[in-house]
Amino acid sequence: MTQAAVAEPPVATGTAPLLRAENLHKSFGGVHAVFDISLDVSNGSIFAIIGPNGAGKSTLLNLISGIYQPDSGSISLDGQDLSGMRAHRRVRLGLARTFQKIRLFKQLSVLDNVIAGFHVHHNIPAWQYVIHGTAFTRDRQQCREEALRLLEFFGMGARLNVFAGELSYGEQRMLELARSLATNPRLLLVDEPAAGLNAAEVDVLLDRIRTLRSRGITVVVVEHNMDLVMNVADRIMVMDYGRHLFQGTPLEVQKNPAVIAAYLGGELS
Amino acid sequence: MTTTIVLQQAINGVVFGSLYVLVALGLTLIYGVLVQINFAHADFVTLGAFAAYFFMHLIGAGYILSIGAAFLVGAALGWLINASIFTPLRRKGNELLPLIATIGVSVMMQNLMLAWFGPIPYAFETQYSSQVIRFAGIFVSWQNIIIIAVSSVTIALLYAFMKFTFLGKALRAVSQDRETAGLMGINPNYLIMLTFVIASALAGMAGAMLAPVLVLTPFAGTSVIVKAFAIVIIGGFGNVEGTILAGLIVGLIESYTTQFLDPGLIDIVVFALLLLMLAIKPTGLIAERREENV
Amino acid sequence: MGFLFAALCIIALPLIFNDTYWRTNLTICAINVLLALGLDFILGYTGQLNLGHSAFYGLGAYVSTLLIVKLGIPFWAAFAAGVAFAGLAGMFLSLFAVRLRGHYLAIASLGFAVIIYQVLLNWISLTQGPLGIYGISPPPAIVVGGTVIVDFRNLTAFFYLVSGFTMLVYLLLDQLVRSPVGETLTAIREDEVSAASLGINGAAWKVFAFGLGAAVAGAAGCFYASFVGTLVPDAFYVSEAFTILAMVIVGGMGTLIGPVFGAILLTLLPEILRGIGDLRLVVYGAALTFVVLFMPGGLVQAARMVQEKLRPAGRGP
Repeated sequence: MTQAAVAEPPVATGTAPLLRAENLHKSFGGVHAVFDISLDVSNGSIFAIIGPNGAGKSTLLNLISGIYQPDSGSISLDGQDLSGMRAHRRVRLGLARTFQKIRLFKQLSVLDNVIAGFHVHHNIPAWQYVIHGTAFTRDRQQCREEALRLLEFFGMGARLNVFAGELSYGEQRMLELARSLATNPRLLLVDEPAAGLNAAEVDVLLDRIRTLRSRGITVVVVEHNMDLVMNVADRIMVMDYGRHLFQGTPLEVQKNPAVIAAYLGGELS
Repeated sequence: MTTTIVLQQAINGVVFGSLYVLVALGLTLIYGVLVQINFAHADFVTLGAFAAYFFMHLIGAGYILSIGAAFLVGAALGWLINASIFTPLRRKGNELLPLIATIGVSVMMQNLMLAWFGPIPYAFETQYSSQVIRFAGIFVSWQNIIIIAVSSVTIALLYAFMKFTFLGKALRAVSQDRETAGLMGINPNYLIMLTFVIASALAGMAGAMLAPVLVLTPFAGTSVIVKAFAIVIIGGFGNVEGTILAGLIVGLIESYTTQFLDPGLIDIVVFALLLLMLAIKPTGLIAERREENV
Repeated sequence: MGFLFAALCIIALPLIFNDTYWRTNLTICAINVLLALGLDFILGYTGQLNLGHSAFYGLGAYVSTLLIVKLGIPFWAAFAAGVAFAGLAGMFLSLFAVRLRGHYLAIASLGFAVIIYQVLLNWISLTQGPLGIYGISPPPAIVVGGTVIVDFRNLTAFFYLVSGFTMLVYLLLDQLVRSPVGETLTAIREDEVSAASLGINGAAWKVFAFGLGAAVAGAAGCFYASFVGTLVPDAFYVSEAFTILAMVIVGGMGTLIGPVFGAILLTLLPEILRGIGDLRLVVYGAALTFVVLFMPGGLVQAARMVQEKLRPAGRGP
C-alpha cells in the first residue's frame, strides 16, 4: 500500500456536474471496499475510473447504480439525491449500466434483448396490454425501429434473431451496450467493457463510446487497463485498495508519482 | 410429574431428532457440494426402511444387519441417482432442472412402492421394540437406545471425517469453490459421487431405524422430507454443525408439540418455523455467507 | 385462426363423446388446463419455481364453497371471492418470498402448500376436515323470462362453461405475454439483476405474476368444487402441485400452448391406457423425469423438431 498522493480536488467546470458522489464508504464484513470516495462527472464528458483488480471500482459502480447502498456518503444525479433509491428506479432518472460479467438474456434473441430495454419508456394504456389496440401496435413498431437503430450502431444489424447465448464474446459486449442504451440514459456506466476483447474490437468499442459522448451522453468507464482509457477519457480517477489515489486529466495521471508507484511498471505505457 | 413428562418427551425428541439429522445431513451435504436438492431423498429413507424390513423377514437376518442392508441399498440409490440425473444435467447449466427431475423420481418411487407394497402399514417389529428400560418414571425402549447409539456414532464419524481426513477436507473444498478444488488435483466428479453415496446411505439407514417407531408405508418418506427441509434451512444449507443442531431442535419441537398441543399440528408448527427462518435469516442459524458476485 | 379451430373442437368434443365418463374427463381436462396455464405464467414466464400451486387451487375451492354453503352467497359472487382470495394468497406468498431465489423459493412455496393443506385438514369447525363438504351445487341455471336456457347440471353445458372460461383466460394470458409485460417477466426470469438495470422492479412484477397465476388456479378450484359436488382436503394434497408441474413441464414451460397440451395429455392418457389407472402417478413422475432429462422443452420442443424434419429440403446439409 503506497502513500496516497495529495488528492487533487475535482476541477470546477462552471456547469454543475451531472453525477456527484461525496465521501462514499462501503464495507463488507469489516473490509473497506470503498473508502471516502468523492467524484464529480461533468455533463457530456467521459470519466474513467481505473485501478488494479480489487481496487473497489466495481463496488463503486454498484453504489452509483444502486445495487448497494453506501454505509455513508451521498450520490446525486443532476442534483437529485439518490440515497435509498433502489437500482431500478434510478433508470427512470436516466442512469444505465453494463456489467463486468456479461448479463444478457441468453434465451432471448438479440432483438428481444434490446427491446426489453425499453421497459421504462412504453406508452401504452393499461387495457391495451390485454386487447392490443392502436397505441400498442404503434409502440411495438417504434420499439422495433429504435432497437434496429441501436443494433446497427453497434454493428449487430445482421444478427437480430440469433440467441444471445450463441453470440461471440465481443458481440455480447456490444449487445449489452445496445440494450442499456435502449433505456435512453443521460449517464451510462460501463464496467470493464474491454475485458476479453481483441484489439480491433476494443478500437470499435472506444469509437462507439466517443460517439455517445458527441450525442450528449455522459459515460463513466471502469477499467483496469490504463492504456485503453488514456485516449478516450476527459478525466480519470485512480483508485487503489478502495481509496482515492489521484484524479485529473489523462496527462496529469500519467505523470503523477503516486500513480506510477502504484502501477509499478504494470499497465502504464 | 411434569418433569417426568418433559424428560420423557426430551428423550423422544432426541431419538427422532437424531434420525432427522441423519436424513437432513444427506440433503445438506449434497447441497454443499453441488448446490442441488435431491427431492427423492426422503423416498430413499422409505426404500431403506422397506429394504430392512424384507431383509429381516425374508432372509431372517437380525435387525442390526438389516440396518446395514438399508445402508447399502441407500448407497446404491445414491450412486444411481447421481449417475442418471445429476451428472447428465450438470452440463445443461440450469440450476432448477435437477430439482424438477428428482420431483419426478420421487413421485415415481412413491407410487411404485404403493403399487408393490400396498397402502396398508407394515408392522415393523424388532426384538428391541418391546424391551423397555424404565427409570425414574421414564420409559426408554431398546429400540430408542439403538437409534441414539447408532445415530450418534454415525454422526460423530461423519463429523470427524469431514474435519480431519483428506477426503473430508476435499469435500469441503469442493463445496466452497469447485474450480479451485479441481485445480488442486481433486476430482470433483468423484467427490460428488462419494457425497451422494454417503448421503443416501445415511438416508437408507435412517429409514431402517425410523420404521419400527413410525408407520411403514410408501409415504413414510413424505412425513420426513417436510422436516428434513425445515432442518436444512434452519441449520443452513451445506452447514453440518447447523444441521445437527437444527435436527435436534426440530425433534424436540415435534415431541413437545405432540405432547402439549396436537399431533396434527406438527407439520404446521415445523413449517411455520421454516417460513419464519426463511423470512428472517434464510442462510440458517450458523451460516456462512454466499455472496452473489455482480 | 388457431382459436377458431380450438373453439370448434371444444364445441364438437362433448357431442362426439356423448357418454358421462368421457364428458367428465373432458371437464377435468379443462380444469387442469386452467391450473397448468396459471403455473406456466409463474414458472415458465417469470421463472419462479412455485411448488405450491395446489394451495391456490384449494383456497379457491374452499373459499367459494364455504361462502355459498355457510353464508348463502350467490354462486358467481362467491366465485369472484374465491378467485380474489387465491390471488391475494399468491401475492402474499410472493411478497414473503421476494428475496428468496431458486431452491429457497421452491421450499418456501412447498411449505406454504403443506401449511394450507394442514389447515384445510385440521380446521374442522370451518372445513369439516377429512369428512368433507357435500352437496355442492353447480352454478345456477341461466334463466330468461321464466324459461331455463342453460342448465349447468347438464354435463355438456358445464363443460362449455369451463372450457369457454379457460379459453378466455388463455387469450388474456397470451395477449399479456405478447406485450411488454411478457418481455418484462422473461427478463426477470433470465436475469433479475440486469433486468433491474433496465428499470424493471423485479419484486413488484413477481408479485403480479404470482397473483395472476394463483387467481387462475383459484378459479379452477371454484369450478372443481361445483363440478364434483363434494370437497375434501385430499384433492389439494401437495402431490397435486407436482401433477400440475408435470403438466407444465411435459407440455413445455414458458409457451402457454405447451401446458395446454401437457394438461390434456396427462389427464387423458391414463384414461386411454386403461388398466394403468392405478399407476397414473407413476406415469406422471416418469414423464416429468424423462422430459427434463431428454426433452426439457416438452411437447412444444418435440413438435418443433418434427416440424424441422418435415420441412422440404431447402439448404444443403
